[in-house]
Amino acid sequence: MKTFAELNFPGRLVAVEGLDGSGKSTQIYLLKRWLELEGLKVYFSEWNSSELVKSATSKAKKRELLTPTTFSLIHATDFADRYERHLVPLLRAGYIVLCDRYIFTAFARDVVRGCPPEWVRGLYGFAGLPDLTFFFKADLEVSLHRILEGRPQLKYFEAGMDLRLSTDPYESFRIFQGRILEQYLAMSTEFNFLVLDANQLVEKQQAVVRQLVAQRLDLSAFRRAERPPPRPTPSLRRPAAKVVEEPVE
Amino acid sequence: MRHAPQNQIVIPSPTARRFYGHGIPGVDLENLAGRLIVVEGADGSGRSTQIAMLVEWLEGSGHATVQVGLKRSTLVSEELERAQEGNILSRSTLSLFYATDFADQIENIILPGLKAGFVVLADRYIYTLMARDMVRGMDEAWLKNLYGIALEPDAVFYLNVPPEELVQRSFAKNTALDYWESGMDLGLSRDMFDSFMKYQTTMQQTFRHLQTTYGFTIVDGMRGAEAINADLRKKISAILAGK
Repeated sequence: MKTFAELNFPGRLVAVEGLDGSGKSTQIYLLKRWLELEGLKVYFSEWNSSELVKSATSKAKKRELLTPTTFSLIHATDFADRYERHLVPLLRAGYIVLCDRYIFTAFARDVVRGCPPEWVRGLYGFAGLPDLTFFFKADLEVSLHRILEGRPQLKYFEAGMDLRLSTDPYESFRIFQGRILEQYLAMSTEFNFLVLDANQLVEKQQAVVRQLVAQRLDLSAFRRAERPPPRPTPSLRRPAAKVVEEPVE
Repeated sequence: MRHAPQNQIVIPSPTARRFYGHGIPGVDLENLAGRLIVVEGADGSGRSTQIAMLVEWLEGSGHATVQVGLKRSTLVSEELERAQEGNILSRSTLSLFYATDFADQIENIILPGLKAGFVVLADRYIYTLMARDMVRGMDEAWLKNLYGIALEPDAVFYLNVPPEELVQRSFAKNTALDYWESGMDLGLSRDMFDSFMKYQTTMQQTFRHLQTTYGFTIVDGMRGAEAINADLRKKISAILAGK
């Protein structure tokens, strides 16, 4: 497997990985905002979000129809759809593509569920590797606390209940997350994860992320054309702030 | 002299089973007494006729049967159908979607069927899925890994009918050619007839290539349905007797 730089794509892919509650989504959101405000071509994509596969996935999850094999395949289908219809064309067009979770999420989860590692890796053999992968490493207890403090309703597969680790969803979730963390750590060197200390303050982490991105990517290559002028993504538009004219001195 | 009917029933014994590749986690391949018989071939090659005749014969001989086929899973068949109608999925996506459908049927119909001692009749199997994808340029090694979840069947019969005859049968039945069976998504020709002929020819070449790996039985599909079925029955009888 090769990175998109090695594949000679003009675009670059930056992925974040980590346990639920590691703060990775916050970090990639802040990275996205920075790059946008710098006037760069950025696209953001989330795990398990392909419109097309969504209906099948949500139905299957609700009815608890999935086995480790079909769980793995349906997520690979979702990934392939986003990969072929969005990620690749945008990378061809010279975008910085930001992914909240990438193939390593599948490598970790599916293997914990008992799928053979070589088989899972083979499924994703069509995908390029990220040019940068940030791994947000939080203490297991910190991640668990962030997710569990509100005693949320944990979903069946999210809690790893299908693995029959425990009849208590919270206990099951703890064991499941612990095993996923082991898988992530085992992959860390092989896939050149940039490991961040997710126990630190948001700003401290973001400063490191921005610094590394600026070092490793030639950001000037991703500048938007001057016209049409850059506009914020509609979903992220804030209510218009009242502009108070400062008296000219 | 009449034999008592129960004496005619062949009682199959469990056979050694294996997956083509990595297999499915948590599946015990011991004690699967049933048999898995696959009928492959293009649309119009007579697959459904042959399977219907086999069911009659098998049930008459005291064997319970269950059928599987492509795009028949409870999990994703509807979504797959919808996606295909719109022709909006790209290659790897469609391929993985079909694999999901296949995996669901293996886990929920084929394996339980074999465990319960049924003769499982599959109207197409991984070979059609692989051939379709290979014709569309997908990597063979990738497909082999993907379909490493498939059980090796006891027999695979490929009904071989030349494209010239397939096109005639298709018109006799529907008076129209099917978009996908004509490979129209490949852009081989704007002319549907030309596209059909080219696509089916390439599919047959691909099946012949897969035959060298998977060693299925190629059956001359140009003969009458009865003659073909007699052939299949003879081979299946031997399989049931454990020969």
